[in-house]
Order: sequence, then C-alpha cells, then structure tokens
Amino acid sequence: MRSFGGRWAPYLYIAPIVIIAGVLLYFSIGFAAFASLTDWNGLTRMELVGFENYRELFQDRTFYIALGNTVKFMIVTVVLQAVLGLLIAVIAKERVPGSNFFKALFFAPIAMAPAIIATVFKYMLEANYGSLNETLRALGILGPDETIQWLGADLGVWSIAAINVFSWMGFSMMVYFAGLMSIPDELYEAADLDGAGWWRRLFSITIPSLRGTTSVLVTLGIVGSLKTFDLVWLTTQGGPGVSTQFLSTFLYQARLDREAGYSAAIGIVILVVAFALAAVQMRLSKREN
Amino acid sequence: MKRKRFLAWAAMYAVLLILGVAWTYPIVIAVKKSFAVGGMDNYSAVLNHADFNYWSAIGNSFLLAGGSTVIIVVITCLGGFAFSRMQFRGREFLYRALLACMAVPVAAVVTPLFFSINSLGLRDSYAGVIIPLVAFNVMMMLMLTKNHFDGIPQELLEAATLDGARPFGILVRVFLPLSGPLLANVSVLSFVYCWNEYLLPNLLISSPEKYPVTQAIALLQFERMSQEQIGQLYAGLILMTIPSVLVYLFSQRYLQSGLTAGAVKS
Repeated sequence: MRSFGGRWAPYLYIAPIVIIAGVLLYFSIGFAAFASLTDWNGLTRMELVGFENYRELFQDRTFYIALGNTVKFMIVTVVLQAVLGLLIAVIAKERVPGSNFFKALFFAPIAMAPAIIATVFKYMLEANYGSLNETLRALGILGPDETIQWLGADLGVWSIAAINVFSWMGFSMMVYFAGLMSIPDELYEAADLDGAGWWRRLFSITIPSLRGTTSVLVTLGIVGSLKTFDLVWLTTQGGPGVSTQFLSTFLYQARLDREAGYSAAIGIVILVVAFALAAVQMRLSKREN
Repeated sequence: MKRKRFLAWAAMYAVLLILGVAWTYPIVIAVKKSFAVGGMDNYSAVLNHADFNYWSAIGNSFLLAGGSTVIIVVITCLGGFAFSRMQFRGREFLYRALLACMAVPVAAVVTPLFFSINSLGLRDSYAGVIIPLVAFNVMMMLMLTKNHFDGIPQELLEAATLDGARPFGILVRVFLPLSGPLLANVSVLSFVYCWNEYLLPNLLISSPEKYPVTQAIALLQFERMSQEQIGQLYAGLILMTIPSVLVYLFSQRYLQSGLTAGAVKS
C-alpha cells in the first residue's frame, strides 16, 4: 500500500508552519549569530570584527549583573512557584469548603497581561506615595517618614520575582492539581493502613509521584526566566543604574543604544543558555523515567 | 481524632487566607486607586483622553490576537495532521527542529526580527506583528494538536480511505469533528498569549493609533505623575483588563485544560 498522503503532499501540509514560523525563527537565529560577529549599528554599518563583541561582553560588568539577576530570579521563582503551587493543590484536593474560590483567585492573574500587572505593581511599590508603603505605615510596621525602596537597587530583583510569582503560581497549582488527581487512591489507602501520617504521605507518596510534573515545571520556569522581559522593562527598566538589568533587558538596551552587533552577541548567549538548560533538564527527566 | 482534623483544617485555612490576602491586595489597590481624587470622573477622563483611545486599543488587540489565533489554528491543524499521520523524509527531524523553537525567547532575536519585518515592508503594520506572534506561539499549539491527533484510532482513517476519502477530506470530516475541546484549548491559549504580548508590538509598531492595549499603557504615563493622573492610569488599567477578565470567565475551563495539557504532555 502506498503511504498515506503520497510522497509530496505531506510537505504541502507542513509548508505554512515551516515557512511562517520555522524559517522566520531559524533565519533570525542564524542572522543573530552572523551579526554578533560584526560591528552592526542596526542600520547600514556592518563590518566583520570576529569575536570582538564576545570578548567585550565577557569583560562587561553589566553582563554579569544581568546574568546574576536572571539566575536569582530563576531560582526564586521556580522554587516558590513549585512549593506554593503544590501546597495549594494539596489543600484543594482535601476539598475544604471554599477551595474552589481560592483556586480561581490564584489562577486569575494568568489571563491578565503581564504588562498591565507590571504597571499596577510599579506604582504600588513606589517608595514615597506607593500603596504598599502607605499600608505598612498605616499598620505601624513602618514609621511615618520611613520608606522601603521596593524597586531600588537592593530589593528590585526580588520584587520583580515576587510579581512573577503572583502571575504564575496559579499555573503550577493547576498543573500539580491535575497531577494529584492521577495518583491512584489505593496508594493512600495502603498508607493509611500502615498508619502513615499526613507529612509521611506527602513525602513518600505525593511528592515522588509528582516528580514528572515537577520536572516539567522546572523546565518551563527556566525557559520562562530567560524570556522574562515586560515585568522588568515596565517596572524598573533595569535601573536604578543597571542594578536590576536582566539578560533580556540588557540586550534591548544595547539595541536601543544602536549597538546591534553587541546586542546580537547577548542574544546568542541567551539562546545557548536556553537550549543547554532545556537539553540538560530533558536528559535528566528522561533518565529518571 | 476530631480535634486533629479541626487543627488540620485550621492550618489549611490559615495558608489559604494569608496567600489569599497577598493575591487580593494588588487587585483591591488597583480598583481603589482608580477612583482616587477624581472618583468616577477618572473613568470618563480616560475614555475621553486626548492621546489614549480606549476603543482603538481594544480593537487593535482584538485584531492582532484574533488574526494570529485564526492563522495558528489553521496551520497547526494542517501541520499536526501531517506530523501525526503521514510518512515523509525528514519528519522526525523537522518536528524536533520546530518544537525546539519553544525555547527561543523573543528578546534574544529582536534585532534580526526587526530587520526581517522591515525588509518585507511590514514595519508598523498589523501583518508585521501577526507574523511573529504566530511564529512564537504556534509551536506549543503544534505539539498539543499532534498529541491529540495521535490519540485518534488509525482504523477510522483506514475505513475512510477505503471509502475513497482523500487526506484533506479525512482531516476535515473525521479528525476535526473529534477535536472540539482541543480546538477550543488551542484557540483560547493562542488568543490569551497574543493578547498579552508586549515586546513584539513595542518593537514593530510605532504609530500610537495602532497600539494594542499592552503598548497603549505608555500613553497614560508621564515623567512626573500627579495623584490624579495616577488615578486615571489605574482606571485605564482596569478598563483594559475587562476583556481579559471576560475571556477568563467564559473560557476558564479551556484555558486550564490547555495549559495543563501543554505542561503534562511535553
């Protein structure tokens, strides 16, 4: 029997997706790789300079600040979203009255644009007249003239991470909840017969059974951290100074400064890290299964 | 035993309440601030703003997200069908190469992307944003669609082939009727992701009358803002969130199942 669809027709079916998406993305990646070896200013000037951009990049203090911030953000958001998401999923599974309301509340930010969420937080976290400091003053936690620079050089990265947790924790919760539903009840019943307590069941049944789910969430969190742009750009724009610069915003700033070749080199570093981390994570989770 | 159960419930409610307050606080603040100084006037001021046109921002977002969604659904059905059921050279390689694009951040390729769209003569046009919106969101949808098609029994396809149906007819008359919830998942997810995108329009659209909501926020912000202007900004943010809330309320089920399917099966 002739294979289904014949010899050439399959290529017609995949042509739109390959042309619109595949070609555009791989062309962009290839072009970025080439541009990173030039002194391109984004317009006309474009001469090969070898690995000059990379040499400069690895000596740029801002690059290490941006890398450090991206890694801090990655660790905090991946861990907090997983822990809180699992906690709420476990509580929701106990079917305490009202848990559906809380599930809907935690999930709701996912439908909202990060750009809007970021803007709300930007003014809420402002040091002098922002609502959070005003609330803390009203509660007596802060003195009348005291301020906390939530988006300042010291706390900025952590605040941005908190905004991300606000946006995406509901996603981890929902994925864990779906995972919990697929754990067979017999496992828990057997544990009950053995007299295992709540903590014991959590650590010896629930968490091990959800290992696959956790590893997917970690992968998505890592990739998501490298993609994070609007939360940073619309709150601190990488400032004050360069203290809250992420790799993505550092790249965008270089582009705005007409350093297109340099920004392409940053892009290639981001891509290498993204593909490497995704590959390592996939290898690890495959070995476990 | 009863006492223990009570304590467990108390602990669980304590967790829910503390986190509940943290999640409600920004929402309450945004709503409260949107009435600050001017009260309801903040809302009418935003709706009659000199630089910011609410309805045009909403319309632009609908156009970008809706247009992208239609294209994504059509091309993933075609591509997913071929990757799921047809044999051809390079199938595995092409599929993997396409899925690998899910790891590519928009930010990493902004300059080449700007160059490509500009060279195609599509800068500052709706099509110039829709094409990259499709490119960056279609791969996850392709994965969802192919996984779903993989689950449809091969016998149905063989029976239809014996009846003389052609591949395209089988896709439309056998596979699609069995894919209602999947198509809903893919459509809702694509729409929400494209609606929420900020970087792509910011990179490619320069005329304020073409700004989608995520970009139009900038029109309500100034260097030094008075309390009144902040009130108006919050009113604008609330108004711009209404469509997202409506989408959320009407399609929560599909949004949830789409997102969890994407995570569980990858």
